Amino acid sequence: MNHDAWLAALTGELRRHGVGPDLTGHVVAEAATHLAESGEPPLAVFGPPQAYARAVADSLGGPDQRPPRRRPGPVRLAARGITKRYRGRTVLDRVDLTVRAGEIAAVVGANGAGKSTFLRICAGLLSPDTGTVQVDGALGYCPQDGGTAEFLDPDEHFVLVGAGRGLSRRAARRNGRAGAAALDWTPPAGTQARHLSGGTRQKLNLVLARLGEPDVLLLDEPYQGFDRGTYLDFWHEVWRWRDAGKAIVVVTHLLNQLDRVDIVLDLTAQGERAA
Amino acid sequence: MTKILVVAESALRELLRRRSVLVILLLLPLAFYLSRRGDHLGQSIRFVCLGLGWALSTAALFAGSAARGIEPRLRLSGYRSPHLVFGRLLALWTVGVLLSVPYFVLILVDQHDVRYGAIALIMALTVVVAAPFGLLLSAVLPRELEGTLVLLTVVGLQMVMDPADETTRALPFWFSREIGTYAIDHTDGGYLTRGLIQGGTFAAVLTLLVAVAAAVRLRRRRHLRFA
Repeated sequence: MNHDAWLAALTGELRRHGVGPDLTGHVVAEAATHLAESGEPPLAVFGPPQAYARAVADSLGGPDQRPPRRRPGPVRLAARGITKRYRGRTVLDRVDLTVRAGEIAAVVGANGAGKSTFLRICAGLLSPDTGTVQVDGALGYCPQDGGTAEFLDPDEHFVLVGAGRGLSRRAARRNGRAGAAALDWTPPAGTQARHLSGGTRQKLNLVLARLGEPDVLLLDEPYQGFDRGTYLDFWHEVWRWRDAGKAIVVVTHLLNQLDRVDIVLDLTAQGERAA
Repeated sequence: MTKILVVAESALRELLRRRSVLVILLLLPLAFYLSRRGDHLGQSIRFVCLGLGWALSTAALFAGSAARGIEPRLRLSGYRSPHLVFGRLLALWTVGVLLSVPYFVLILVDQHDVRYGAIALIMALTVVVAAPFGLLLSAVLPRELEGTLVLLTVVGLQMVMDPADETTRALPFWFSREIGTYAIDHTDGGYLTRGLIQGGTFAAVLTLLVAVAAAVRLRRRRHLRFA
């Protein structure tokens, strides 16, 4: 493993261990200087990047749990009084949610609590029985499954979705590949979506939702099939999007990230109230 | 227009990558043709045209069903439903033309004393009608098996029913029998006119219905308002 590859791997591992960007840059720069001056192979000096990153994170007393928060901007999504019934059963009962630019809202709840239904209503793919959704800006939506074309490869997906957003072919491919790289994924040219693993297909799904920089992102359990590293990469991306002023709604049943979001909408409690 | 072309290109890529399906689609009309090649040359022309219609309708049915998963995302990404419908139709019509050309050449080589222009017209109308017919079936019957059974019924009825029977005019490929009679049996222009009117009407109505079905399914819901 040469210097550059080892340093790139270290950067990714530090991020996965929750080390903030400033400190990551500092640690990587310091390691690069040492390697340049000593001329020794990085594996001999520091060992594998995973182990070194773990050691750095441990020395800091664990991952940085609270990324810096910024002042939220104008309201981007306002759902008011959303009610939905299925076959006489009330799934959503007068649900309200307001998300501003620069905020992350997590929609949580048990299976069947109506999380995906609520997100589909927010995306305008499903009508509620009552209630309204006001959106300021463009919408990006990542469904729980589907959302890709079996016989197209990732680049062709980028071009197809990008054209809808007004992107040229080249810009769509470039943006799509940049989004994929942020999830530590290099889309293989010519590999059709049906040949991608479940987790990789979800990466594609997520990158497509983000294409064209929509102002409001609706993500329906987008991390299904992700390994731990990609899962952490995903949350780092979500925080980065928030810091870039996006309003994000994430449907999740994993509660260990809830201290890192701004709003929690618990539909379990809401469902119990309806019952 | 760019959006329609990008959808058409993507749909065409998807269709052309289903290689085994393409081979079956290509051979199906040939089977129809050969089934009557020995005893009635004229009938084999009518059958090959029905085979083309069936093959392309089936391709459209499956293409429409396969697209249901990604179309809501495309709608949210800035496409309007006409972009999606006409892009997909453009791809299917292209496949239909590619599918028809070898059979037209076959008839040119194998059949004599027929009106070739009228046969080309049947094939063109078949392509124009079959694509929206299959897409419409995929819109109203989301399960492919149900759509395939309806297609089987329609084409089966088209083959066995007497074209002189008024009720057969309600079948989408009736024009192929009517114009076929004009082309093969050298009848008067009335057959051509009736066939053209029926085929043209079906093409227009089916295309309109597909566009309406997509517009309804992919409509922006009233509860969603953009600032």
